[in-house]
Amino acid sequence: MAMAAASAGAERRGIAAIVRRAFADGHIRTYSFALLFFITTYANVVAYRSAYPALSDRLALARSLGTNDAVRLFYGKPYDLLTVGGYAAWRIGGVLTLLAAVWGLLAAIRAMRTEEDAGRAELVLAGIVARRNVYLAALAAILAGIALLWLAGFLGLAVAKLPVGGSAYMALAVVSVAAVFVGVGALASQLAPSRRFAIELSTAALIVSFLARVVADTTTSFEWLRWVTPLGWAEELRPFTGARPWVLLLPVAVSVALIVVAGRIALRRDIDTGLLPTRDDAPPNPRLLGSPLAQTLRGERASFAIWLLSSGFFAFVVGAISTSIASAGLSGALQRQVKHDAGVSIVTPVGYMSLTFIFFVVVLSLFACAQVSAARNAEMDQQLETLFALPIGRIGWLAGRLALAAAAAAAIGLFAGLCAWAGAVSQNAGVSLPQMLGAGANCLPVALLFLGLGTLAYAIVPRASSGIAYGLVMVAFLWQLFGGALSAPRWLIEVTPFQHVGLVPAQAFRAGDAAAMVAIGVAAALAALWTFRRRDLIGP
Amino acid sequence: MEPAIRTEGLTKRYGSTLALDGLDLSVGEGEVYGYLGPNGSGKTTTIRLLLGLHRPSSGRAELFGVDAWSEPVTAHRRVAYVAGEPFLWPALTGAETFEFLARIHGGTDVAYRTELIERFALDAGKKVRALSKGNRQKVQLIAALASRAELLMLDEPTSGLDPLMEVVFRAAVQEAKERGQTIFLSSHILSEVEALCDRVGILREGRLIDEGTLQQLRHLSAQTIDVTFVGEPPRLDRLSGVSVSNGGANSLHFEVTGSVAPLIEALAGHPVVALSSREPSLEEIFLHHYDGSDGHGGG
Repeated sequence: MAMAAASAGAERRGIAAIVRRAFADGHIRTYSFALLFFITTYANVVAYRSAYPALSDRLALARSLGTNDAVRLFYGKPYDLLTVGGYAAWRIGGVLTLLAAVWGLLAAIRAMRTEEDAGRAELVLAGIVARRNVYLAALAAILAGIALLWLAGFLGLAVAKLPVGGSAYMALAVVSVAAVFVGVGALASQLAPSRRFAIELSTAALIVSFLARVVADTTTSFEWLRWVTPLGWAEELRPFTGARPWVLLLPVAVSVALIVVAGRIALRRDIDTGLLPTRDDAPPNPRLLGSPLAQTLRGERASFAIWLLSSGFFAFVVGAISTSIASAGLSGALQRQVKHDAGVSIVTPVGYMSLTFIFFVVVLSLFACAQVSAARNAEMDQQLETLFALPIGRIGWLAGRLALAAAAAAAIGLFAGLCAWAGAVSQNAGVSLPQMLGAGANCLPVALLFLGLGTLAYAIVPRASSGIAYGLVMVAFLWQLFGGALSAPRWLIEVTPFQHVGLVPAQAFRAGDAAAMVAIGVAAALAALWTFRRRDLIGP
Repeated sequence: MEPAIRTEGLTKRYGSTLALDGLDLSVGEGEVYGYLGPNGSGKTTTIRLLLGLHRPSSGRAELFGVDAWSEPVTAHRRVAYVAGEPFLWPALTGAETFEFLARIHGGTDVAYRTELIERFALDAGKKVRALSKGNRQKVQLIAALASRAELLMLDEPTSGLDPLMEVVFRAAVQEAKERGQTIFLSSHILSEVEALCDRVGILREGRLIDEGTLQQLRHLSAQTIDVTFVGEPPRLDRLSGVSVSNGGANSLHFEVTGSVAPLIEALAGHPVVALSSREPSLEEIFLHHYDGSDGHGGG
């Protein structure tokens, strides 16, 4: 008896240690997201109050933006743009739910698959804590992270003087998405045999969810799609606009179901394997082994294909719905308003697609971050130690990787242009292929800028470089979305590179800005090459 | 002729930690050099500096007269390296890894590689991610040995290998030695170093505290002599350089540093039945250097 009690106490202490460890492992990411949640919520509410103080201002905004499909694509469907709360729910919700989803799947994969990939899970499971409790401990740590995100969102809204109850409820709507994607990440961690594969699987789930929300919010015949995506449920919770708390049952039920299924699998499968089969034997394939660059391409080609095809698919959808936007018969006042806000006429397919292609600027920038991250991982996995003990120069290696990343980014951009054109032509929109290829190519300068900056971060602080690269893009994009609303000085708003992209083809290509961004990117890349040659390689 | 490896005052600091302190090393072509030291003594740091993977804080390292930091690519044309941690590329099979490394290195002895795969009993069709640590180590070893590089830089190459494979490894190193290849073997497996190496350097806390052939190292260390007498042993505890302890019934156990002449002289007048003398093993030399305050050469 006494011994059983003692060992139960020891296991409790073990569980507590695992929870603390799991939380500490992801704490930088969690705190960064929490900070982002707080700033985004607070700044938007304050900005709306100051920009649209009177009812008449808000009516104008509602008339112009509220019925605009392009804007809905970014932020979701608005239910009430006349109150501060309603505006916040629409404008903040659309962005934060996406961030919450990303956080959720990364947190789950970090705690469940990365630990196993690194061989640490074995050590833990060799201890006295039962397998089931190890799984629950990881979940508890994630739950603590969700609570922190909720608190940050709630405080942002409440400090900006929105009603406390409504603020708490809206923050809950946002983190409900995180909970579902924790489930998605947990399941992907059980299915996939590696961290990378798990991330790809769950990212695909997120893209599908987002696409479903976009289609639901921008068409009338597919509005039911909102009920199949966690991002749509967050909208249907309708914070500040006639709350419907019962909708919470959906994310709760789905996340619990996913977590339970993932847990079942986790308890049964062999450690270091996934449910999906892997092929560990293969006849030798000598292709793409001739140089480090070829071998990089070999390793990354599946990932390149995913980026290419998902961008192409999304672009095709954008092209295909561009004509329904144009024929919606929007009022003259609205047209003037959008034209004033974005500088582009949205009522033509060309205008709509030009506006939407800013998304592909973000996509290519994120792709650039992924390439920085891949270089960093090659070093952390000590592959570079093996490589650079061979007659391989460091500068040549990094320059080759940069060239490959730039070429792949160009390919993705052009392919998106091609697909958008194909989608538009399928609906008989009058758009030419060169116009849309131009829109695709126009995404490249910003991506090259971030590629250069991210690579410089990699050369100086390799360990942190992945976070820095993604962080830069995220902050720049949020500043682009919200900076204008903060009535910040003009020069401060223009710090973000996204401000310097001409909406091609509706607007002229801003050659000067593009050249400046490419020049900064190239300069950063050159500095990176110089630095990388002169530093110690790091280990895991 | 340029030595295969030469360092002058090679020093590396990581922040406030002094990982390597003024290393002067010279390894001639065709030599098998054993680099000994416990964990954290600076062995891997030395190799990373020799390969130009880390930058010296001061001093320099050369491979075949080529500076390791400023001209790594030229230096590496004549080198093959086996890293202490066999990570490699998880998605490549063993065979693909060989192909990749061979193409980068600019050639390999394919027939010898095939033979080594056989001798090391490696399944080269398996992806690296599915291999155990020992098997990944074999992949690295086979690739390095088959490259026939003039200098083999081996960082604890047998960690993870079973005793049978250890035998195969020793035979392969012996073959490389016979072909005139230079081998730099970092290890803390003393029997391995004792069996393979012409010359040994002992590292302690970033400093080379002893170096020489095994003969030379033994010379500096205590010899063990056991003597059995008829009846009660005499009292012989006042000889310089000799420490005495009881070695059982009618026996004495002597540890002799330096010349054994004084002891032999002292024993001459006594009825000795049996005398056995044993040279110190490398293990004893090694432990001698690490035995707390006994600072031969300083630490």
